[in-house]
Amino acid sequence: MKHYEVEILDAKTREKLCFLDKVEPQATIAEIKNLFTKTHPQWYPARQSLRLDPKGKSLKDEDVLQKLPVGTTATLYFRDLGAQISWVTVFLTEYAGPLFIYLLFYFRVPFIYGHKYDFTSSRHTVVHLACICHSFHYVKRLLETLFVHRFSHGTMPLRNIFKNCTYYWGFAAWMAYYINHPLYTPPTYGAQQVKLALAIFVICQLGNFSIHMALRDLRPAGSKTRKIPYPTKNPFTWLFLLVSCPNYTYEVGSWIGFAIMTQCLPVALFSLVGFTQMTIWAKGKHRSYLKEFRDYPPLRMPIVPFLL
Amino acid sequence: MAAAAATAATKGNGGGGGRVGAGEAGGTRKKKGPGPLATAYLVIYNVVMTAGWLVIAVGLVRAYLAKGSYHSLYYSIEKPLKFFQTGALLEILHCAIGIVPSSVVLTSFQVMSRVFLIWAVTHSVKEVQSEDSVLLFVIAWTITEIIRYSFYTFSLLNHLPYLIKWARYTLFIVLYPMGVSGELLTIYAALPFVRQAGLYSISLPNKYNFSFDYHAFLILVMISYIPVFPQLYFHMIHQRRKILSHTEEHKKFE
Repeated sequence: MKHYEVEILDAKTREKLCFLDKVEPQATIAEIKNLFTKTHPQWYPARQSLRLDPKGKSLKDEDVLQKLPVGTTATLYFRDLGAQISWVTVFLTEYAGPLFIYLLFYFRVPFIYGHKYDFTSSRHTVVHLACICHSFHYVKRLLETLFVHRFSHGTMPLRNIFKNCTYYWGFAAWMAYYINHPLYTPPTYGAQQVKLALAIFVICQLGNFSIHMALRDLRPAGSKTRKIPYPTKNPFTWLFLLVSCPNYTYEVGSWIGFAIMTQCLPVALFSLVGFTQMTIWAKGKHRSYLKEFRDYPPLRMPIVPFLL
Repeated sequence: MAAAAATAATKGNGGGGGRVGAGEAGGTRKKKGPGPLATAYLVIYNVVMTAGWLVIAVGLVRAYLAKGSYHSLYYSIEKPLKFFQTGALLEILHCAIGIVPSSVVLTSFQVMSRVFLIWAVTHSVKEVQSEDSVLLFVIAWTITEIIRYSFYTFSLLNHLPYLIKWARYTLFIVLYPMGVSGELLTIYAALPFVRQAGLYSISLPNKYNFSFDYHAFLILVMISYIPVFPQLYFHMIHQRRKILSHTEEHKKFE
């Protein structure tokens, strides 16, 4: 068995950073990254991007050295991806914030509203309902992060956590402020409106959860395989017939429900921004599906049946 | 900030009608330019804009000579100022349809901040129209835009006089701070009137459970100049070094 030699150069300066000899032909990129970290401990594997061409795409961790188009002396180019943070950490932080922040407003903690309102409670049922819904939504997200989702990437750039938390925490505070305000005005059409909106919210939450479970079942634990999702016996998953990302469809639906229930403009704006972002993600995902699978169902749209 | 942003560089020569590029300028021009029809349209657009801002410049000079003072000149150029500055919204479209190689987001930001100052501050708060700070930013914008639009015109015609290039990448050093000062002072002057009239503000309770305090918003806008202006300014300084030294080298080989 012939051993390989691997030299790692900086993609920008072409400086020789590391030379590895006696590398096994079946070594994976992940193993090479670990070896590289030994000589440069500040560049832990998650922040390494190794590629065959300085301007090319990153090699995957699972790629095997022998199978790459290299001679027995392989030259790899290194790019620093910057400080990384795990997806799980980001998700937990960005979801725990809104859960906690909303409750600060719900309980009318001092210094938010006038002092005479400290720790008072709203007399509107819908305000209590809204707190339950909002809290349930984020508890669900936290539990899904811990027990349901299977992430293809381990990490993301560190600066994302600041960006994401600002978004989630900021909007949560903004909507919570109005819904729990002493001068809050309940929905124009009263209990009817609240009941309908609550139904929409609950159905969409169940739908969103069903999709998350279906997606999880597509991918065995610890793997990074990708398959076309199809409807299962669960009626909520039948939305897969019409859209590629029904999880996003249901998510927008939940927030529309919440907006109608609270009749609060900031909630509607949050829904709109979320919808915009999720549409971008859905279109990207839809495009990847089409590229990867020749037999992808043609009826499906990215996020809105027949339309978008 | 609106003044600063609008002067900011686009890619070296080829950016007819465009604004701040995604950083790089001068350098490799491998990208194809806009097609002949688009180029013709852009030349017309940039010529019209150059002419428009010249009209404003002339209007200012004539009004000054007629009145004998530089106070309250805004009223004499109010209409062309509104027309031509608002017309710049087209530049967002140019980026969106790809005939100009600049970022839609960046261009939107720049144009919208100008339009905001014209309509949401100066037009809406009549009491500030006689302020000298208005003249400060109008002059800064006028000079900047005349140079910028002629720069684009010449670039599109592939015949850019060095003087115009020099002016574009040098005068901003004074015009930026001047424009920013004018803008900030104008917004500041508008504050008490906005508060008094409750302009563009909505308070609780209302059926959409929403509130907006325009006075607080304007203060936030002023604060935002602190991080944004230095970034834009130093970006321009950096561009200047790159582009003007690059031309020097080119001239050596001619």
